[in-house]
Amino acid sequence: MTNVLAIRKKAERMSRETMYDIVRAPLITEKATALSEKNQVVFKVAIDATKPEIKVAVEGLFGVKVLGVNTLVQKGKTKRFKGRPGQRSDVKKAFVQLAEGQSIDLTAKLV
Amino acid sequence: MQVTETLSDGLKRGFTVTVPAGELESKRTARLKEMGQSMSLPGFRPGKVPLSLVTQRYGAAVQGEVLEQAVSDATRTLLEERNLRPALQPRVDLVSGAEVDGKADLEFKVEMEVLPEIAQPDLSDLALTRLKATADAETVDKALKDIASRQRNFVTVEEIRPAAHGDVVVVDFVGKLDGVPFEGGTADDVNVEIGGAGFIPGFAEQIEGLSPGEEKVITVTFPADYSAEALAGKEATFDIKAKGLKRPVDVEIDDELAKKMGFEGLEQVRELITKQVEQEYEQLSRLRIKRELLDALSEKTDFEAPQGMVDAEFGQIWQRVESDRKEGQLDEEDLGKDEETLRADYRKIAERRVKLGLLLAEIGRANAITVSQDEMLQAIRAEAMRYQGQEQAVFDFFRKNPQAAESLRGPIFENKVVDYVIELATVTDKDVTPEELAEIPPADL
Repeated sequence: MTNVLAIRKKAERMSRETMYDIVRAPLITEKATALSEKNQVVFKVAIDATKPEIKVAVEGLFGVKVLGVNTLVQKGKTKRFKGRPGQRSDVKKAFVQLAEGQSIDLTAKLV
Repeated sequence: MQVTETLSDGLKRGFTVTVPAGELESKRTARLKEMGQSMSLPGFRPGKVPLSLVTQRYGAAVQGEVLEQAVSDATRTLLEERNLRPALQPRVDLVSGAEVDGKADLEFKVEMEVLPEIAQPDLSDLALTRLKATADAETVDKALKDIASRQRNFVTVEEIRPAAHGDVVVVDFVGKLDGVPFEGGTADDVNVEIGGAGFIPGFAEQIEGLSPGEEKVITVTFPADYSAEALAGKEATFDIKAKGLKRPVDVEIDDELAKKMGFEGLEQVRELITKQVEQEYEQLSRLRIKRELLDALSEKTDFEAPQGMVDAEFGQIWQRVESDRKEGQLDEEDLGKDEETLRADYRKIAERRVKLGLLLAEIGRANAITVSQDEMLQAIRAEAMRYQGQEQAVFDFFRKNPQAAESLRGPIFENKVVDYVIELATVTDKDVTPEELAEIPPADL
């Protein structure tokens, strides 16, 4: 049984550098754009990032209130290059539900 | 679109045009939507990219495009509404609204010079003289003699005698530079005309007096500007061996000569020459009457020439004058003048040219004179004939460069208008001698 409380505590002590490490990039796709109607944003995040960490990072970087985070790990495909099998990296996506009335301008640059 | 006139002075016009931001915005959105339809972006199916993303990516570019279009559209409507005909491309200055966000109204200034109102001159009271000259027998005879002298025959002289002036000696020679034969200096059976041009100075002279069978070593100095650099200015010896002697014989002007030239008889040659000479006279006569017409017309041009056009024309003339001066080829009468007078003179010429050009264009426009496709084709063909062997390339050039073809259109149009005017004008024919016809060289107008 994982200690959820401990993880949350740890996440809250996160430094700003770590936040940048966790939130890798916004995911801009048709689906992600559609989700913005429900006030959700989608990010690519570090594969080992936890939901509490993502929440703290997004709140810290974009100055918004996060209600919840759903994540999934998209497994990398096995591809062949010149006959040799290779493995694409797995990617963790985080669907972040923002509080009502809040938004993130994904096109703006982070300071 | 709001237009305020800010300047109306002579031929100059100035306007300030305001296009509301809303109009621009809707144009911009329409264009962006159109782009989104064909855009492909990773993560989106084709045509499903949201407008906000398209704007973010291409907003600035589209804004520029829309602005440009708006400006040119607005200018065009302005010209149409006010019925203005600009002499040159109107000058446009953006005042505001160039910002990417596109919130501000677009405001710009248009400045231009309009074409002057040109009253149709009464062409029928133009009095012109068409000079006419006929080819007389004397001219034809002279031309025939010219041809005959070019057809000169040489008869081999059997007797052994020293070569005299006017003779042609057949020689073999070996040219040596410092005793070593040089390249291209050796030849057999060469015809050397004593007293004729075309050889190294002194070469033919030293051969004079040589009898067939004799040999002689001569020394000549190549001229300093000789085409072969290795030889220029050098002294060389030639071992000459005379082999034969020929004497020129004048050719009789008769049917024999005509047949040799590929005609049936002498009469045919005469006819042909007469025709050619008359054609020449006709061209001269046309040049003269055209010049007279232009002179007469320029007196009738009482309108003001647009300054911009005069400036452009003057710039072109002046450029040529400058380059002529650099090469030291300035016209004699221009040599004595200082810069100031020269400029003033050429400016006057430029103004005259612009005025005449405008007047001719106006006459052509008013009388619906156009250059047809056929005439263009003919001109291009004539142009192509000038480049033997590259006709196809010339055709291609004109097909690919409509602008170049356009430059051919100008002279054709001018000629057609001139023809039209000459037809309307009162033309009196006057017989003159060929000398009188060629008397005053037609100026380049």
